[in-house]
Amino acid sequence: MKKTGKEIWVFGDYRNYFRNRVTLQLLAKATDLSKKAGNPVCAVIFGSNVEEYVNEYIAHGAEKVYVMDHISLKGYNVETYVILMEMLAKKYKPEMVLVGATCFGREFAPRVAKRLATGLTADCVDLEMNDDGLLLQTAPAFGGNILAKIITPIHKPQMATVRPGVFKELPHNYQATGEVITVPIPKKLPENRVRLISSRHESARINKIEDAKIVVCGGRGMGSKQKFRKLYALAELLGGEVGATRPVVYSNWADHDSLIGQAGRQIKPLLLLSFGISGAIQHTAALMDAKFIIAVNKNPDAPMMKMADIAIVADANQVCSALIREIRRRIRE
Amino acid sequence: MTMLKMVVCIKQVPMVSELPWDSRTGTLKREIAEGMMNPACKHALEAALRIKHEHGGHITVITMGPPMAAEVLYEALTLGADRGILLTDKKMAGADTLITSFTIARAIEKECPGFDLVICGSQTSDSETAQVGPQLAEELKIPSAAYIESLECRGKTIRMKRLSDDFLETLEMDLPGLVTITTRHFHPRYATLSGLEEAFQFSDITILSAEDLGLSPDCIGMKASPTRILDVFSVTAEKENYVMKGAVKKILEEVFEKFGDKISSAMGKDLKTHEHSD
Amino acid sequence: MGVAALDFNPCMKHKLVRKTVREFVETELGPIAHEMDKDARFPWEVAEKMRSLNYFGLQIPKEYGGAGLDSISYAISIEEISRVSAAMGLCVTVHNSVGAYPIVLFGTEEQKKRFLPKLASGEQIGAFCLTEANAGSDAGGVETNAVKDGSDYVINGTKIFVTNGGVCGCALIFAVTDAQNPRKAASVFMVEKQTPGFSVGEIEDLCGMRANPVSSLFFEDCRVPEKNLLGRRGDGLKVGLAALDTGRIGIAAQALGIAQAAFEASVKYSKERQQFKRPISSFQTIQNYLADMAIEIDAARLLLYKACAYKDAGKNFGPEAAKAKLYCSTIASRVTGLAVQIHGGYGYSKEYDVERYFRDAKVTEIYEGTSEVQRMVVARHLLSAPV
Repeated sequence: MKKTGKEIWVFGDYRNYFRNRVTLQLLAKATDLSKKAGNPVCAVIFGSNVEEYVNEYIAHGAEKVYVMDHISLKGYNVETYVILMEMLAKKYKPEMVLVGATCFGREFAPRVAKRLATGLTADCVDLEMNDDGLLLQTAPAFGGNILAKIITPIHKPQMATVRPGVFKELPHNYQATGEVITVPIPKKLPENRVRLISSRHESARINKIEDAKIVVCGGRGMGSKQKFRKLYALAELLGGEVGATRPVVYSNWADHDSLIGQAGRQIKPLLLLSFGISGAIQHTAALMDAKFIIAVNKNPDAPMMKMADIAIVADANQVCSALIREIRRRIRE
Repeated sequence: MTMLKMVVCIKQVPMVSELPWDSRTGTLKREIAEGMMNPACKHALEAALRIKHEHGGHITVITMGPPMAAEVLYEALTLGADRGILLTDKKMAGADTLITSFTIARAIEKECPGFDLVICGSQTSDSETAQVGPQLAEELKIPSAAYIESLECRGKTIRMKRLSDDFLETLEMDLPGLVTITTRHFHPRYATLSGLEEAFQFSDITILSAEDLGLSPDCIGMKASPTRILDVFSVTAEKENYVMKGAVKKILEEVFEKFGDKISSAMGKDLKTHEHSD
Repeated sequence: MGVAALDFNPCMKHKLVRKTVREFVETELGPIAHEMDKDARFPWEVAEKMRSLNYFGLQIPKEYGGAGLDSISYAISIEEISRVSAAMGLCVTVHNSVGAYPIVLFGTEEQKKRFLPKLASGEQIGAFCLTEANAGSDAGGVETNAVKDGSDYVINGTKIFVTNGGVCGCALIFAVTDAQNPRKAASVFMVEKQTPGFSVGEIEDLCGMRANPVSSLFFEDCRVPEKNLLGRRGDGLKVGLAALDTGRIGIAAQALGIAQAAFEASVKYSKERQQFKRPISSFQTIQNYLADMAIEIDAARLLLYKACAYKDAGKNFGPEAAKAKLYCSTIASRVTGLAVQIHGGYGYSKEYDVERYFRDAKVTEIYEGTSEVQRMVVARHLLSAPV
């Protein structure tokens, strides 16, 4: 295979390591992309005492790791990391930079792109390499079930943020070896203009729906706020959680914490029951990892029905009531 | 208490969450979509209005778009903003986030010198990039924080809270600065009808072209944007599915008959799934 | 003289009025409209929110605390409220048009200052009382009387079918002030609810508009000061007719809102409902129904906005308002009837909203002048024109 020196960089976003595997997923995708032209797959890590991540990234496909390890980088500060990334990219000139579309990544990447005066595609759901070495970036656009294929033909590096969960990580290989390039941090780092006063891990409270085995999700098709409440009874019977679509949250039928979608939560239940949801992509994108989906909608052509394992063409509210009765009966028996 | 000079960046987006898609021609029927103020932008304006009502201050709203986008400026004036700026020019059209933030930054520098706080919505509902806010801060060379959920002014310093990847962070920055606001808090108020009448009677809206901003056509719009859209297409993830119709009771019986094990195993409970098994 | 082109595009202001009202009512009334009707409940909690947003001062001038909207904005507001809840649309239009607007037209400066701010803020909800057991279309049959006693008038009588009756804080009462010559000597009085002798009867059990507390009002030796007389003594008919001209714009808008809601529900349902393995919207009969509904709604809307434009231009808009009221209410009944038909059995069920639209639409052909009276008004106008 012809080898090129044009590197694909993956930003090492390890703050939420055990919950968020997007960096590993990106290393896998970068490995896949590199097959065409033999681009070196590289990871970039900033922080303090990050050696374990260096090893982890090598085990997951990084051939080279750029490391800036210093006690002053402990804080996971966007501004500092932007400065370092700009410096590094200007020095080593990567061909592509991939960043996980975490909150951090989606604040960090646009600022880096601006400093490098290059293009950035947000929240990609697919990446391919064409014959000219251009990255074909597929990103959701215009809110609907519409995707745009985007390239950055001239400017370098080609940059993309990638939605967590769309690519599969490679099985780790602790025999793998990689080159570690330790880059010293600049002598005089500018002072952070945004001061971190406190930071507290909040996962326990927040992730109830994300970790639920069963999610009962409702849309406007439930009919009214009152009818929507039946979903809570159903969820309780099943031992699951209730999720909602954006219109439902906007109508105050459910609170914002139950919003399933791009602006809300991503779920991965074993069983998803979807009631009266048509299935705009902002919503469906957040439930790609659901194992088994039962959808109820009057419209058999709704996108949500097309992605369901069982599509029940009926009134959502009616089915919900009947299902509550049915499960009560079966539990009793 | 210092009165803050605030700039709120807003965008008009199509009102429907699913744009009408013409499957025969493979194009968007954009013209039949009504426009509205992007929800996160409306929350951003609400954040500014709350600061104004608490501490006093002046709010300029700025948008870039076709002439019809003036509507969201009027809406903002109705809600309590003081001044509107519309950047409209065919030459500005098709800009990606890098160039959009460049263009808006030039307008802010020209029209709002001495501003203290720029507030943007965290993302738009049409393209959802969440990039313009942070890039605008870079372009204006001011500090910024994205996905802010609450903020508190202490003179020319603001303290902010946000939930970032499961970390609840409290941040502080000196102004001038920029924040982007999520839709989680700052629920927008309703417009009053007297405010609406006044917005149209005493409107203060400035319309600026590329020439007004002294921008050459080479550095704006689609021409200057590094990204290119190759193709736009509709996708519906179709999979082999089991479609059921008819009487609800019958349907549910069949669901339990055929798929009861899926429900039982997810519940971790053994539901009686087969009617006649015992 | 140049000929101005007719512009059928709503201006930015009118578009924004529609969006503003729609957002509010869809969020606040949308989820409860069905239950409001079922329980015949007036939504005080929503009325409270509407107060601070000027919904009770739509056409009251700014100096008295109103929003000072033009008539098209007014009609759009009523249309949008009624599209979600006709009963609430009724409350708002009656309050604004016949409850408050006559004071704007005929009140003295002192009266405007005394009454309008409370009405504009919605602290008091307004009502207009003309109909009696033996008087409706014929205002000459009114029996409620007001007898001068010193500097007061003493009112006795019973008014029926008073919209907002159960929630009003201030009512305009149409009463006879000259027993000898009742046809010529009616007058209108502003009477506040707390006035001794003013009492509210039971809420009527009506076919539609069930969330509006329509009731009788009783006046027993109800003493009001002379300064509460609206216009001059004996001006009753003039005040009443002017009130109804304005009121008709509101009822036309209300009927239009109901029709619009029924139409939208029908389009949606006909695409979802499958018969013979295809959506019923693919059948030509249903398509014809939908086309007719759309055309009639469009025509009605243009007629209504024309009446509004006449009013804002200071022209004699009475006949135009009568045409609009007649046509909007007629098509509202027709469109809601078709909507039920398209929905089939479900349309006849309380589970679907079209059943409510169907009931609500009927009364728009009856109150604030029946369809028969509107034709009379239109005919009288066209026959009196010089040939």
